[in-house]
Amino acid sequence: MTEFSWHENVALNRQSVSRRRFLYGASAVAAAGAVNFRDVMSVQADELRKQGRAMILLFMQGGPSQFETFDPKPGTENGGPTTAISTAASGIQIAEGWEKTAQLMNDIAIIRSMTTKEGEHQRAAYQMHTGYIPSGSVKHPSLGSCIAKELAVTERELPSVVTIGDRGNLGSGAGFLGVDYEPFQVSGRSVGTVPDNVGPIVGEKRFTRRQGLLDKLEGEFSARGGETVVNNHRRIYDKSAKLVLSPMTKTFDLSLESAETKERYGNSEFGKGCLLARRLIEAGVTFVEVRLGNWDSHKDVFDSVKGLASKCDPALSALITDLKDRGLFDKTLIMWTGEFGRTPKINPNTGRDHWPRNFNALLAGGGIQGGQVIGETAKDGMGIVNDPVNIPDLFSTICKSLEVDPAKENMSPIGRPLKIVDGGKPVAKLFS
Amino acid sequence: MIRPGIHVAFVLVQAAIFAGFSVAEEKQGSSSKSISSNQVAQEVDHQILAELQKAGVSVAERCSDEDFLRRVSLDITGQLPSPDQVIAFRQNKDPDKRSALIDKLVDSSEFGLNWARYWRDVIYFRATEQRSRFNQEEFTEWMAEQWNKGTGWNSTVTAMLTASGNVEEHPETALIFAQGAMSEDVAAEACRVFLGIQLQCANCHDHPSDIWKREQFHQLAAYFPRIAERRMNAGMPEYEIVSVNTESRQGDFMRENPEMFIRAFDRDNDLKLSKKELEAGPKRIGRRIAARMKEGNSDEMQNEGMQEDKMAAGRIPAKAIDRLFAFGDTNKDDLLTVEELKAAQPPVNRRRGSTEHHMVDLKNPNSLGAIVDPKFFVSGETLPRGQTDEERRAAVAKSFTSPENPWFARAIVNRVWAEMLGEGFYMPVDDIGPTREARYPAVLDLICQNFVANGMNPKWLVRTIANTETYQRKIQSRPASENELPFASATPVPLRSDVVFNSLVQVFGVNEGEMNGRTAKVVDKKEKKDKPRAFLQSPRFLFDTLFGIDPSVPKDDVMGNIPQSLMMMNSRVFRARMSAGKNTQLSKILDEHKDNRDALRELYLLVLAREPSAEELKICADYIAEVKDRPEAFEDMMWSLLNSSEFVSRR
Repeated sequence: MTEFSWHENVALNRQSVSRRRFLYGASAVAAAGAVNFRDVMSVQADELRKQGRAMILLFMQGGPSQFETFDPKPGTENGGPTTAISTAASGIQIAEGWEKTAQLMNDIAIIRSMTTKEGEHQRAAYQMHTGYIPSGSVKHPSLGSCIAKELAVTERELPSVVTIGDRGNLGSGAGFLGVDYEPFQVSGRSVGTVPDNVGPIVGEKRFTRRQGLLDKLEGEFSARGGETVVNNHRRIYDKSAKLVLSPMTKTFDLSLESAETKERYGNSEFGKGCLLARRLIEAGVTFVEVRLGNWDSHKDVFDSVKGLASKCDPALSALITDLKDRGLFDKTLIMWTGEFGRTPKINPNTGRDHWPRNFNALLAGGGIQGGQVIGETAKDGMGIVNDPVNIPDLFSTICKSLEVDPAKENMSPIGRPLKIVDGGKPVAKLFS
Repeated sequence: MIRPGIHVAFVLVQAAIFAGFSVAEEKQGSSSKSISSNQVAQEVDHQILAELQKAGVSVAERCSDEDFLRRVSLDITGQLPSPDQVIAFRQNKDPDKRSALIDKLVDSSEFGLNWARYWRDVIYFRATEQRSRFNQEEFTEWMAEQWNKGTGWNSTVTAMLTASGNVEEHPETALIFAQGAMSEDVAAEACRVFLGIQLQCANCHDHPSDIWKREQFHQLAAYFPRIAERRMNAGMPEYEIVSVNTESRQGDFMRENPEMFIRAFDRDNDLKLSKKELEAGPKRIGRRIAARMKEGNSDEMQNEGMQEDKMAAGRIPAKAIDRLFAFGDTNKDDLLTVEELKAAQPPVNRRRGSTEHHMVDLKNPNSLGAIVDPKFFVSGETLPRGQTDEERRAAVAKSFTSPENPWFARAIVNRVWAEMLGEGFYMPVDDIGPTREARYPAVLDLICQNFVANGMNPKWLVRTIANTETYQRKIQSRPASENELPFASATPVPLRSDVVFNSLVQVFGVNEGEMNGRTAKVVDKKEKKDKPRAFLQSPRFLFDTLFGIDPSVPKDDVMGNIPQSLMMMNSRVFRARMSAGKNTQLSKILDEHKDNRDALRELYLLVLAREPSAEELKICADYIAEVKDRPEAFEDMMWSLLNSSEFVSRR
């Protein structure tokens, strides 16, 4: 299949609603009689709620330095030797090493005034993924899982949430929302190939035959009192088998992409992850997270960020470019951020330590007005001068972009309703 | 007042606390003065049956010997019975064979291990400190020992609430470490796990749907403000749980009053601080402490130092001094000046805190808030301000585990019952408490009373529950109505990750280490010492990352997921173990049993610990005829049985 036709084929999956299904739904209501306008609208809303919206989170695990990325302070003591470069957006400068991203700055908004109180990796990463601080009593669902719950079409072959890269649970799970919204993990090692256990180990014919046998043999346990268990089990096995036999698993296979494309993304594991993210979004996945680790630069921050930027810069710019080329950019929100920033003062190991007081996030696509900077930090980088943005603000902004109601409540197992986002206001300037 | 022989080390430390503690704790299980397991079991059955009959609910009959053997083996030891055991048990004519089997299983070492793994999941599934995985293996061993020894649950929980030290050498620190030693998190989690009460909603506001007030939560947290988690070294990270009985606010003090700070330590009066001066401690207090230490009266030193001058008694740890120099000594002359201290910018440390608990003022969230003193919300017991960490935690452990606190026994009895029957008196198991309604409350209290009378011995509890007819009923699909009385039948529920893993190990006839497809390596003690966290790469651990379920979540809410079924369906390792080719359990069966029916019986006994039904024999015979290839057909049948819902469920 050529890339074009595959592309067109999947476009129907998420971008547009299946017309046939919608009509069927509406006429079913009509047939039941007593149709009023609101009934029709609710059917329609149900079918259309997906809106084709999706999100890609590029999570920089460890806490990237704001000085060496998008808030450089050249010529100051705290700024260190890092120089600034001009970007396509006049008046916006970012750190050297991000030349490709700089060219796309008119599509990107930088928030330089992100702020949190959590200065410990696990807690901060949990907060950045869920919007809540960790609590033993409730496992909060990640924003990704909440978004998938609101936006994903349920009857799909591919999972609605995918995490690519390091396996650690940073609050990125579905929490109490349960298995339907649990991220499908693609380990860094297997990026580019069909993930473990997705490819069948026997031929398709034998696979289907076995499944038929399994189904028959389940009858005994079902009859002996295990009916509910058997039915649930069947549901999951049917879904799994659908995935195993689905041509959609090819989405994971990057050998279908040209060498030139892979080159543009930078042939790193992270670059491949971003390319995979694009393919997954095209195939209808709602939320993809790609992780890049090793940002915890207590030592030699300048060299280590240079290395990380050389992986991140081509991947980020290729991702934006491709989504624009495919007409998916306006409905796909890309966010780049880490769990916190790094100390302005350079430590004796030429490193920077944890600094939650101010750090960066990038937003692009999804209706975000690019080419602007939100917030400003002091000349020496020691804090925010104006427009602080906390994590609930950031999450409210994401919800606005994706047209998800941040005040929607999910019921936790102990009967305590939790809003998708607790408090916060969207950053208005990002939508102007 | 102190029972000899019960984990001596712990008793030594806690001797003072237990004075006056009146639980009649007895030696392991062999209780004489209270009524026996069997008598309690009968009374439980009697009361439950009476209620069911009164409500007109039809009661399922007793389950078959096959089903009982599998159920009780999986529940008590986490192990699937072998085909030989199934046959032997069926042929055993002893009318008390079920009871005898229960005794044997409860006395096997797998009993403690199985339940320890349950507790490992209870605690670590809600860990807010991800690093806490470091000591989960040690914790499992420790907990297994407690359950196998029949240590009273009150003693076990006391050990967990009062634990300190290196988290791997003192794995009873598990719950505190899992919550990063954060006072509010530890309080909420201890309350949830050990009392089954969800108090933490009241952290930020009065509980919306319950009677708890915000203050009550903070009074509980006030027992824990002085515990801290500390990293012990720079290389392979090791952590310890410590008591911080002195204000550890030198950091703030240092920056706010650098001149005073320097004067306090500056022995040579050059207005600069050397490492030596800092190590020696504050001048005035330092000398006094040194004198006390010579006298060997460290307790008195600690108390007096704390009461007289909290700040000064807290000498700065060597590591902190090193850090202070690393960050503060900008001109590298090994001396700290006033200017350097003012500019010093230590990394953010949110653990830095007060020795008393503060309840944040919601109207002014950035302020520290008012000090709240410890008070136990169940009994109203209080503790005066200024007590040491050791005193506070001893007090809270005593209040938690007291027989006067009904929630302590109810929480564990309800948990173990729910784990074994698939449903508890209260559901979910970690949301009980005075405003929740139990089903069969009199039955729960009956078990609780006798559990307490039997020294809160978990062996007694498991044995009693397994001996009830209620436990031994046939399975039925769950009743359609939630309001219907439970326990009229057994409930088929998903098995925990470790139990499924054990079953696979047994069905494949391999060692645990071979489950990743490689040849097993025997890990000796020395290697274990060299690679203390090797378990993080073990097949069991990796399996658990995929199949683990939070045991506090009602079984109804637990469902399989796609990655799990993909692994069971398509794992290459499993395929090799299911091959009819060579050196597998299946190849042995096929070699030894040329008759397909015999081979099928063996396969069913191996995988499902039961004989196939006539209907199943027919389905399989038809399948063999269809495939026309005996090994291939048997591989498919083994695959189907391993992928069946029955294999991963309790029946």
